[in-house]
Amino acid sequence: MTNRLLHTPEGVRDIYGEELKRKNTLKEKLKALVSSYGYSEIETPTFEYFDVFLNDIGTTPSKEIYKFFDSENNTLALRPDFTPGAARAAAKYFLDDKLPVRLSYLGQTFTNSSELQGKLKEVTELGLEYMGDPSVDADAEMINLAVQVLILSGLTDFQLCIGNAEYFKGLCQYASLDAETIKDLTENIRNKNYFGTLDALNDVEISDEIRETLQSFPDFFGGAEVLSEAAEKVKDIPRSLDAVKRLQELYKKLEVYGVEKYLTFDLGMLSKHDYYTGIVFRAYTFGTGEAVIRGGRYDNLLKAFGKDKAAIGFTVVIDQLLLILNRQHIEDRESRKKSLVLYTPERFEAALKKARDLREEGTDTAMTLISDKKDMDGYREVLSRKDFDAVYFLSEGGEEVLS
Amino acid sequence: MRYLTFALTKGRLADKTLERFEKIGITCEEMKDKSSRKLIFVNEEKKLKFFLAKGPDVPTYVEHGAADIGVSGKDIIMEENRHIYEVLDLGFGKCRMCICGFPDAAELLNHHEMIKVATKYPRIARDYFHNKKFQTVDIIKLNGSIELAPIVGLSDVICDIVETGSTLRENGLSVLEEVCPLSARMVVNQVSMRMEAERIREIINALREVEE
Repeated sequence: MTNRLLHTPEGVRDIYGEELKRKNTLKEKLKALVSSYGYSEIETPTFEYFDVFLNDIGTTPSKEIYKFFDSENNTLALRPDFTPGAARAAAKYFLDDKLPVRLSYLGQTFTNSSELQGKLKEVTELGLEYMGDPSVDADAEMINLAVQVLILSGLTDFQLCIGNAEYFKGLCQYASLDAETIKDLTENIRNKNYFGTLDALNDVEISDEIRETLQSFPDFFGGAEVLSEAAEKVKDIPRSLDAVKRLQELYKKLEVYGVEKYLTFDLGMLSKHDYYTGIVFRAYTFGTGEAVIRGGRYDNLLKAFGKDKAAIGFTVVIDQLLLILNRQHIEDRESRKKSLVLYTPERFEAALKKARDLREEGTDTAMTLISDKKDMDGYREVLSRKDFDAVYFLSEGGEEVLS
Repeated sequence: MRYLTFALTKGRLADKTLERFEKIGITCEEMKDKSSRKLIFVNEEKKLKFFLAKGPDVPTYVEHGAADIGVSGKDIIMEENRHIYEVLDLGFGKCRMCICGFPDAAELLNHHEMIKVATKYPRIARDYFHNKKFQTVDIIKLNGSIELAPIVGLSDVICDIVETGSTLRENGLSVLEEVCPLSARMVVNQVSMRMEAERIREIINALREVEE
């Protein structure tokens, strides 16, 4: 039993000391950035009715959501992500007038993912939602912000990859493919599986031109040049052509923002869910095996809450970002100094003054009374671990710096 | 330049993979020394690293980005179901995932009644019965010699890899249904696919050409 009291369950952990400090510093920095673009913070409940996170609204499979019951037997769920809750709140409080709404959130999310895969079940997420503006300018603002979040974190080597689900949907519609084939194709294109894509089209009756375009999906990723190539292939399919044009327009706007060097395009970036309705984007960098930022346009989401308005947003998992910074050896240069003032009982006043001075200089300072000289041994050990930048010892003998 | 790291499946599959890689100029001399106790093999000139892992671990290494590229069997990729890109069918290590049993068990597969299935691949078996055949099954996970299960009466049928089928025949069992064809696949980590797009695509395209 005692062992159980000491351990945390699989997938959750304590965060403390330097690590927590780094995490909080990053959170504050990112919050300030987001707020400087006019996004106001929102805090939604940690748990809500399960229906808010149902499949068409959320992207987390039901079996990965923590569920429980209230006293009236309603099913409640710990939020697996913020978007559905934020959309529900926005529909309720903000979306009655014509102005678009900009919201940001920062908090814990919970997913009951499978065990023993080295994944956290509780993480801190920062996210943005821009609702009520369907324009390409809104797309550009969102993507620029995603880039700024990564730059501000300290990353330099990353890619922001943009796709547009409409391109694929347009092609499928034009070729009147059945649902089964579309599902099969989506899976293979998502996985960049060239031969799988060929196989999926084997028994399908479509023109050679369309077949060739669908087959080349796994190749449709790279710099802005892939867009003109992709546009050429869908000259006669308005829906797909519009999708490419939207991306080209977006690229031009992002050039004005000056972030084009981080951008790549991937028309084969399809989501498992029907959730995204227009552009989708993800940011990639070395350090973890998956995307660090995920976002896109989901113009149908607010309909679920009774408002027919456009919406675009993204989320970044702070814990993952910290892991990446750590693995890429990117230090937070602004971290504050930490020192410790030790004193014997008669030097209390002097110690207090010393600590005050240090704090005024901007050093975090703790004070500890040494009533028995023997305790000093313990502190020398702390010193060797470099928990403090400096340790001062005030005794009858005067002031001594141990470091 | 950053190292590109390959995770290969220990055993025959690794040998065949290296053979294929050699054809496109990717070599690792260090690996040919079978007496070596090294865990990581390096090709300094091309900045490549290789390591060998147990089959089911290959997708795990690739998903976490510990390896950029992996080669493992389709059976393992389906069973592990990781978030990785499956970019290429390497065409060797061909076999089939099948439902096997005594000939009279075939009748059990025509109805929706509950049957017992022994397998090393619970996810593949469940997916096949639930989503393709709409049959409820009781799955018994075994770790090897799956053919034993119907013989000693542990299960009605088995879901397992069939290469030549000789073990089955010798024991009076036969293939009742085919689940899917299998072969060795190349998988790539999502991040690596973007960040190292040029190098990885070059490898994929070269392998594709050798293939065709």
